[in-house]
Amino acid sequence: MNKLALNQFIALLYREVLENRNLFIGAPAVLALLLFVFAAWFVSLTPGWELATGIEYLSVIFEGLSPTEMAPILMIPAIPFMMMLFFCGLIYLLNALYQDRKDMSVFFWQSMPVSNVKTVLSKVVTIAIVAPVFYVAVLFVVYVIALLSLTLFGIILDVQVAGLGYLFLGAVASLALVYLSAFVTSLWLLPSVGWLLLFSAFAKRTPILWAAGVFILIGFLEDFIFGSQYLANWVESRGNPSHYIIYHFSDVADRLFSYDMLFGVLVGSILLVGAICMRRFID
Amino acid sequence: MNNIVEARNLEKHYGDFKALDGVDLSISPGSITGLIGPNGAGKTTALKALIGLCDVEGDLTVAGKDPRDARHKLMEEVCFIADVGILPKWLRVNQLIDYVEAVHPRFNRARAEKFLSTTEIPPRKRIKELSKGMVTQLHLATVMAIDVQLLVLDEPTLGLDIIYRKEFYDRLLNDYYDGNRTIIISTHQVEEIETLLSHLVFINKGKIILDAQMAELDALYTEVIIEPEHLAQADALKPIYTRDLLGKKAYTFESVPRSQLEPFGETGTPSVADLFVAKMKEGEHE
Repeated sequence: MNKLALNQFIALLYREVLENRNLFIGAPAVLALLLFVFAAWFVSLTPGWELATGIEYLSVIFEGLSPTEMAPILMIPAIPFMMMLFFCGLIYLLNALYQDRKDMSVFFWQSMPVSNVKTVLSKVVTIAIVAPVFYVAVLFVVYVIALLSLTLFGIILDVQVAGLGYLFLGAVASLALVYLSAFVTSLWLLPSVGWLLLFSAFAKRTPILWAAGVFILIGFLEDFIFGSQYLANWVESRGNPSHYIIYHFSDVADRLFSYDMLFGVLVGSILLVGAICMRRFID
Repeated sequence: MNNIVEARNLEKHYGDFKALDGVDLSISPGSITGLIGPNGAGKTTALKALIGLCDVEGDLTVAGKDPRDARHKLMEEVCFIADVGILPKWLRVNQLIDYVEAVHPRFNRARAEKFLSTTEIPPRKRIKELSKGMVTQLHLATVMAIDVQLLVLDEPTLGLDIIYRKEFYDRLLNDYYDGNRTIIISTHQVEEIETLLSHLVFINKGKIILDAQMAELDALYTEVIIEPEHLAQADALKPIYTRDLLGKKAYTFESVPRSQLEPFGETGTPSVADLFVAKMKEGEHE
């Protein structure tokens, strides 16, 4: 990739972040704020001695465990953020190739010497690689503030807090797992990513109705004509939540390098080519 | 020198509606072409076809490339302004400049900033907070900082007041046009661009109904304010358009030698606006 092509791609990613800052930065920040409000309310209702016992327990519970062994447990607070990333990703993909056509700014974007291949790929990279960075960054801030608060309360309540520093390493490891989970899930769901981008590029209005409606229609026709439910079963198999969260670093390679993953990436790639073709003309 | 735009037999259908119906168009480098037509005439479709945003049938070459094959390559040589509403409203002015600088190899940031410094556009403002006139100024400043062969303007001053409209065309002519660049302008406001043009194209119902160099108009078209006693003789020469003018009749003739018309009354070259109306209503007199 030459320098211009690289600059163009970085600029496209920057555009996605700027345009969707509410989904990628605002949404997790609001969720974090809600979490802190809930935590503050919880602390205000908890007697001091119970809080002291809890902090001391947290300080010693992971003793003897490595950060990577702590990570799966410390991922639990990240689950609401991962669910939010999933739903924000859905909204993002449905609007990714639709919104600029709706507000007519597509004429500006298409007046620049940027290919549709790069534009569509930038959407995929945004959801698979860039958006999770912001969610993980917000989670990092959440963990840092939470651990600092616990340390401060521990010092005030005069309990053992030395172990909380070690907990931080586990938290960082858990964030690495959160990021990897988001990336692997994006690849696993590439057929869905391609499907949503295809209808985002195609629909003149309400891409969600097109994306859902055509899918239901194909499933219905398959059942009606062939009497089979292959499509529905395949999609259902992709909806298995166990594929969405990686609890151990050793699982990454297994998830990435499987025939099922390869087949999904192939189907997703074909749908992405369809989205690129749809984007070619604005009629 | 090769024409910068060569279109042969362009056709575009939307269902039964023919947006372009056998359009032939040749535009030479360095010209300023006015593409004039009423609403729904096919102007925007034609311009969209030129920059590869619309699939058309027929032969089409712009700056030596087929726009349908590689729009992004073509856009290194061509700039396009649609109308005032197309800049992304959520971007800030400086972010827009950053973006264009990153993606366009022929963009000159210093030049854009110099243009912007002569306006009242704050660099940190979001585009949605700017007035329509400012958005157009911003778009023009961006485009004028890009060194391309062809600039395509589709109703660029739509919805602007007269001050912004005049400033837009003044800047275009004085700060951008250098005699080598080619400009194609489509607009309804014919009077405002009449003095800029070197090439005039009228389009109606998807067909080109006039394609002439401005310098040729004198020889091709004559408007005569007919003295009442010559009305019958003038009618015999089949004017393409007649209108009432201060109690007299003004006839527009096509390809009739001016010397033949001078005995009928005061002769002159019709304005582009009058010629436009004449060509739109051609034949109604018969």
